[in-house]
Amino acid sequence: MFKRVLLRFRDMKTIGKLIAGADEQANIMGEEKPSAEHFVLSALCLEDGTAKRAFNKLRIDSRKFQDAIKTQYDEALSSVGISEQVTEMEPEPIKSDKILHDSQPSGQDLIKSLYTLKKEDKNRPLQGAHVIIVAASIEYGVVPRAFKVLGVDRESLAKAARDELVSI
Amino acid sequence: MTDMKSLPSPNNPEDALVAVVALRRMADKLERKAVKEAIAQGWSWSQVAEVLGISKQAAHKRHAAHIHDTTSRKG
Repeated sequence: MFKRVLLRFRDMKTIGKLIAGADEQANIMGEEKPSAEHFVLSALCLEDGTAKRAFNKLRIDSRKFQDAIKTQYDEALSSVGISEQVTEMEPEPIKSDKILHDSQPSGQDLIKSLYTLKKEDKNRPLQGAHVIIVAASIEYGVVPRAFKVLGVDRESLAKAARDELVSI
Repeated sequence: MTDMKSLPSPNNPEDALVAVVALRRMADKLERKAVKEAIAQGWSWSQVAEVLGISKQAAHKRHAAHIHDTTSRKG
């Protein structure tokens, strides 16, 4: 019982770090609310290191993922005739003073799926690898397109993240 | 000007929708930069709002916090 309470307390702390990190990543990229990709970037910075190690197994890292996010936007804009020169416009970092957290729908969906996954895996503390498993299950949007740019098979990424959890 | 025939076909909805998202994101970035520049050049919020086709309150709510923050950091 006490162990369960302790675990829940620890998970709440991790969720707090994950959300704060996602907000920060979104603001750096000039966006007010974090989307799923910002939660992935935040998970890669979590101290447990499981998300980072799962990425490393597929020879990718945070920088490569960020570059892939940009590439998929560039490709989408190029499909409507907008040159790379225009898309090179540096994002204006945002200083957010909001008190209550709010995410884009893709970010909200990721958190909901994370909650469901964590309910099924209630004996382990919440780890960055849980976020990667959820991110790898997303079918549409920036996250799967960025993985596609990187040539990453989402199922292999999910497996690498699950292996990280098994070792805990 | 891009030939409309070369735009992603609505028959391929994923590519078309992804292009829409990228355009919105780019428009947001451009809007933020342009509003910041306009205010720095002495435009009023009413003038900015008029050009954007939104209310003064909406323009202020959307941009003021970020603009005041960056200008106060400079200043």
